[in-house]
Amino acid sequence: MGYIRIPITDIFQILIAKTAGSLYAFENISETHLAVILDVRLPRILSCAGVGAALALSGVLFQGILLNPLADPYTLGVSAGAAFGASIAILMNLTNAFVSVPVFAFTGACLTLFAVIFLSYSAKNPMAGLSSNNLILSGVIVAAILSAGISFLKFIANEQVSVIIFWLMGSFASKTWPNVSIIIISLIAGFFISMFFARDLNLISLGPKSASSLGVDLKKVTFVLLLSGSLLAAVCVSISGIIGFVGLLVPHMVRFITGPDNRKLIPLSMLSGAILLLLADTVTRAVLPHEIPIGVLTALTGGPVFCWIFKKNRFK
Amino acid sequence: MEIFLHNLCFSYDADSYADGMIIKDISGSFSSGSFYSVIGPNGSGKTTLLDLISGFLKPSSGTIDIDATASVSFSKKKLAKIISVVSQDHAVNFPFSVKEIVLMGRHPYISRFSLPSENDIQISENMMDICGITHLQNRKINELSGGERQRCLFARALCQDTPVLLLDEAFSNMDIHHTLQMLRLVKHSVKKKNRIVISVFHDLNLASAWSDAVLVLKKGKIKAFGRSGDVLTAETIKDVFEVNSIVEYNEHVHAKQVYYPIH
Repeated sequence: MGYIRIPITDIFQILIAKTAGSLYAFENISETHLAVILDVRLPRILSCAGVGAALALSGVLFQGILLNPLADPYTLGVSAGAAFGASIAILMNLTNAFVSVPVFAFTGACLTLFAVIFLSYSAKNPMAGLSSNNLILSGVIVAAILSAGISFLKFIANEQVSVIIFWLMGSFASKTWPNVSIIIISLIAGFFISMFFARDLNLISLGPKSASSLGVDLKKVTFVLLLSGSLLAAVCVSISGIIGFVGLLVPHMVRFITGPDNRKLIPLSMLSGAILLLLADTVTRAVLPHEIPIGVLTALTGGPVFCWIFKKNRFK
Repeated sequence: MEIFLHNLCFSYDADSYADGMIIKDISGSFSSGSFYSVIGPNGSGKTTLLDLISGFLKPSSGTIDIDATASVSFSKKKLAKIISVVSQDHAVNFPFSVKEIVLMGRHPYISRFSLPSENDIQISENMMDICGITHLQNRKINELSGGERQRCLFARALCQDTPVLLLDEAFSNMDIHHTLQMLRLVKHSVKKKNRIVISVFHDLNLASAWSDAVLVLKKGKIKAFGRSGDVLTAETIKDVFEVNSIVEYNEHVHAKQVYYPIH
């Protein structure tokens, strides 16, 4: 599916031939089709699935640590930090924008994360610091400052303002193989770390005292998982811009099926996140007459779905 | 086994060390086969004392030794095999089933990436049976009443099968039937398994009837610590709680009981 029609048999032929490593099978397929499949569509599909899985995983981690089923990867202001970084890169009109924007976005996200952890951590009373209330509050404060900063950057941006706005809305257009490898590597690392601590994450939902009495090293687990979740979100934002609601909605919905046990929730959320975002991207790319930013689509469809789930559960 | 507290002090804020102290210079020891209760008015430091013993909080100064070893030198996991806690925070944020919650008590014994053994499941089923929550096992923990939830957390702590059990108002939401059932259970395990149980009570009569020794806290300091019969007097109660009372031996309870006259 897409702007250029390629017969499905050709697609399979290309994929099979590529994986088998034989080249002569390409003989009867046009150069353009080959390029479209291997260099445009495949990286786009893979990076989209990867980002979907990573956002969902990040959502599971945040909801588990912040003890709040309504938390998402952006709760700690990671998205605002990334957006601020990207806006600066765009505004400064740095050469080679394909590299500088993601790098600035990632740096912005990381700096924000450290600012938030610094704000909520208190050396005097380390056990009470990093509590979910402190983290959420610090996240909200930092995000508010940053979004004012972004507004200011847009105000002084003149011609670039549309580039900033477009970037902020998220897109998977023109993703390359390096993007794919970055997201896949982060995803694999994130998956192993979170599965390693999955049972501890279950225990954290009993409250800090009970978790501690059952042998969970709260400070270590919170810190490691928070960092992993935020870095995953930062990688996602730097690759595709800000895509909302996937990290919030997917773990929330998967929890209805698997129950709250993170050992099942983590892999299944990743799978569902990948499928869902891929579906959304396919709709923006191939079904709609004009390609619309995927961040807009996920928020426009995810928002109402979330309202419905929220309302339904509150009165159960 | 014996737990020793040496000049334990604790304050949340290191700056106001002198006046903001919640626990002030507490020393004492707890030994196997005894049921201790901790009583004192609101804000006297009862919960903080248990948090320090369980290792959730670190003392500002002073040490806690378990037999001859400082408790800070134990790893979290090792400590979880020595001390279990039924704490006041019994809100569970995600809808785990009762069965899952109780099985979490076996966490310190199950290595990473492995599933609970036959033995772990057997123990958790026994504990649910003993605590009378088997019929609730498939219910969601956050749909239960406060008293039912406390019994689940009780079963979870018993699953941990530790020589030390700390109870922080663990009976506060239970009806009298279940309170007595749990107390009998605890008392029995103190004698049979030679456990140390330290429980915070608000009800002085329950404390007196069930415990071997009573520790009375006032403003973070020990006011009295000794055998229930010796510690509970009208003068101590007047001093600590600022209420008038009559303390008498009751032959039905086989212990002193406290009455609060109405004038």
